[in-house]
Amino acid sequence: MALFGDLNIVNTTDKRKLKNVIETAAHLGYSTVAINHVVNLQEKKQEIGKPTCVAELFTSPPTVQGKSKPIKIITRLTVVVSEASHCNELRTTSPRTRLYDLVAVHPKTEKLFHTACMTLDVDIIEIIMTEKQQFHFKRPPVNVAIDRGIVFELVYSPAIKDSTMRRYTISNSLSLMNIGKGKNIIISSGAEKPLELRGPYDIANLGLLFGLSEGDAKAAISTNCRKALLHGETRKTAQGVVHTMKKTEVPEDKEEAPASKRARTDDP
Amino acid sequence: MTDYIFYIFLDMAVEYFAGTIPDCIHSMRRHDTKKPETASYERLVFRNASDYHYMKISLIFEGGNIRLNAAHFKQLIISSLRELYGEIGAALPFDVLKFEENTLSAVLRVYSSALVRLWSALTLLGCYQGQPCGIRVVQVTPFLLALSGNSRELKLD
Repeated sequence: MALFGDLNIVNTTDKRKLKNVIETAAHLGYSTVAINHVVNLQEKKQEIGKPTCVAELFTSPPTVQGKSKPIKIITRLTVVVSEASHCNELRTTSPRTRLYDLVAVHPKTEKLFHTACMTLDVDIIEIIMTEKQQFHFKRPPVNVAIDRGIVFELVYSPAIKDSTMRRYTISNSLSLMNIGKGKNIIISSGAEKPLELRGPYDIANLGLLFGLSEGDAKAAISTNCRKALLHGETRKTAQGVVHTMKKTEVPEDKEEAPASKRARTDDP
Repeated sequence: MTDYIFYIFLDMAVEYFAGTIPDCIHSMRRHDTKKPETASYERLVFRNASDYHYMKISLIFEGGNIRLNAAHFKQLIISSLRELYGEIGAALPFDVLKFEENTLSAVLRVYSSALVRLWSALTLLGCYQGQPCGIRVVQVTPFLLALSGNSRELKLD
């Protein structure tokens, strides 16, 4: 079985708070955690900066409860797009998104949702939970996104904070479920405080509430998270086969000529 | 969630050990297509052997000193059920079997058909009397005996 993952922990400038949240996540049993940097391009002077250095955060990451390995912390970028010009950053050749392990997009209009499913180079599409969905999901772009390996993300911390948000969360999830049949869905916390996190089996139960089947609900916190992670890794490669690495310079040895150029001395 | 399937083998064991084995092999040598006598067994399926599910939970507050007694605790859970499922949810029959005031941990019992509703209401509990709080579900089991040991907190020396 794939390990549990929570791919949305909101990045704050307060390091101690972030450390608390990650320690709580490790205590609850999550093996992988992604620190989410949210960039809203609509506000002025917002640029995609560099991700926080994970090694600085913890000298020794906390151990996951029930396993002997430490928790794996990765970085993630979420771009909130409300106009087509914002999508320029999310093309494959963009230099800034290469620094992050996972790239997510949060589309606000139907056209942008369509673009995100078809062409944008992202791993995760975040679904609006804090307001009523302005548009209905259509089957063709959702199917194309599933074929490309993009996962849809449902965030549950607004449901914990406020009862109106709870209604929007459940209604938006149910409409996504009707179109997408429950494939490629992940559920994550979007937590800012340790109190907003819930254990993995609790979230699997919430998945039942959102309209998923039992197997899909468990996959939403384990298998599909792993799927998104692998998709993020292969984004930096060519078709997932070729991968470039920086090689350290080897001092050249002038004495030995390459084997093909050496004179043949031994007789056949 | 789990099905418990019991297979009961009648007659087959008796036939096998009563000395009919040489006959089977003999018949198999001569006619390969002849089937040996099929064993008869009876299959009993128990869907969910237990009527109740038991949950061990613990209530966590952000601030320090909140004092609750068992009645307040049950009221808290009923109000959370009402927020999520309305009056029908609030009428869900469940029992608080044990409640400890110092650690704010409790053992609940609920009918198995109502487990998903109660569990989701506990998960989505956000605040109590203005104070942010949360519920950590430690164990869920259909058998009360399982609550006596928690393998996650096992310390092997």
